[in-house]
Amino acid sequence: MQTKMKDFQQRINSIVKKGSNGQIVMMELPTDTYFSYSSAVIRTLTMKGFDGVYISFQRPLGNVTSLLKQQKINTKNILFLDIASILGEAAGNPQQAVAGMPADINIDELVKAIYTMLDNLRSRKRFIFIDSLTPIALYKPLSEVMRFSEFLSRTVRSHELENVILIFSVAQELAQKKFIRDIAMRVDEVITL
Amino acid sequence: MTDLKIIQDELSNLQPGWIILLETEPNLALEVSLKALKLLTEKGYVGIIISASRPYVNLMAQYRNVKMDESKIFVLDVITKSQGGTPAESANVLYLDNVAALTEISISMKKAIELIIGNKFVFIDSINTMLIHTPPEVFLRFIHSILTKLRLEGINGFLISIVGETKDDVRAEIAQLCDKVIRVGA
Repeated sequence: MQTKMKDFQQRINSIVKKGSNGQIVMMELPTDTYFSYSSAVIRTLTMKGFDGVYISFQRPLGNVTSLLKQQKINTKNILFLDIASILGEAAGNPQQAVAGMPADINIDELVKAIYTMLDNLRSRKRFIFIDSLTPIALYKPLSEVMRFSEFLSRTVRSHELENVILIFSVAQELAQKKFIRDIAMRVDEVITL
Repeated sequence: MTDLKIIQDELSNLQPGWIILLETEPNLALEVSLKALKLLTEKGYVGIIISASRPYVNLMAQYRNVKMDESKIFVLDVITKSQGGTPAESANVLYLDNVAALTEISISMKKAIELIIGNKFVFIDSINTMLIHTPPEVFLRFIHSILTKLRLEGINGFLISIVGETKDDVRAEIAQLCDKVIRVGA
């Protein structure tokens, strides 16, 4: 795993070096150690001075932040959108994390929320990190998931949003799903390990 | 024996709020789950078992065989009623209608979590059995929802699955949500 992780780190570094100008990346992460790789991405980006929006479909906010903090990753400059709690109709108060988001996820509202959050980041170098594309497809039609990725990509590529890296993550074994391949076709780079 | 040592090692240093997927061979499934449960109860955890594989009566007999502390076990039996069995009355069991009643399972799990005091974990036994009765997409939503609820409550989770009996994409959806995947005998 160490060699794999080293290789992965180098690939993230090369993306960061290329500049953050409207880059869209898909990361196919090892399924059984998924979070270790996601957190490696966040660690690298924050250490390189990026601020970001972390959209969590997999895990609720408290769990993500406590795991990142355990790994001594600075979360001060990250804004979180806890969609997992809403999708799972979980107890608690997801609105704390997603101001103004309705209980039923609306793709337009979601993209709007991300866009607004980007405005609140202080650094000129910014990222949007989607922790996993497939959980949302458990709750929403594939057409909506496609629309989400399309809408977000278009927003990032538009001239209004410079200096943003958009990262879609997916578990390696799920990368062959048709809707994931369709999204992969539209990104600038796919990182596989 | 060496395989079972893996469980001991993997369960020795758990971070609070852990969620583990345990994968094993069919012939080892009972032995492995008993070993894991015994280890966890000996560490002071209280287990809420969602049992789709064995009825409560049989499960308790197995636990007694390995001298497990029964006071640290609460069973949500989703199999006895649907198979026409007679539910045996006991303070540490709740009988649910059937394996496919996912909402009922979810509500009962929440109630059990509220009622039981201590450092808890929910044990789902097993992914494969539940998948026999539920379409994969419905089951995956259930798992995502259950694991999210557990994480919000800070409750630990333990899922057991038989190697090779779950489709790769279903397995991957579940595995990516877990903190650790342990393979025994696979």
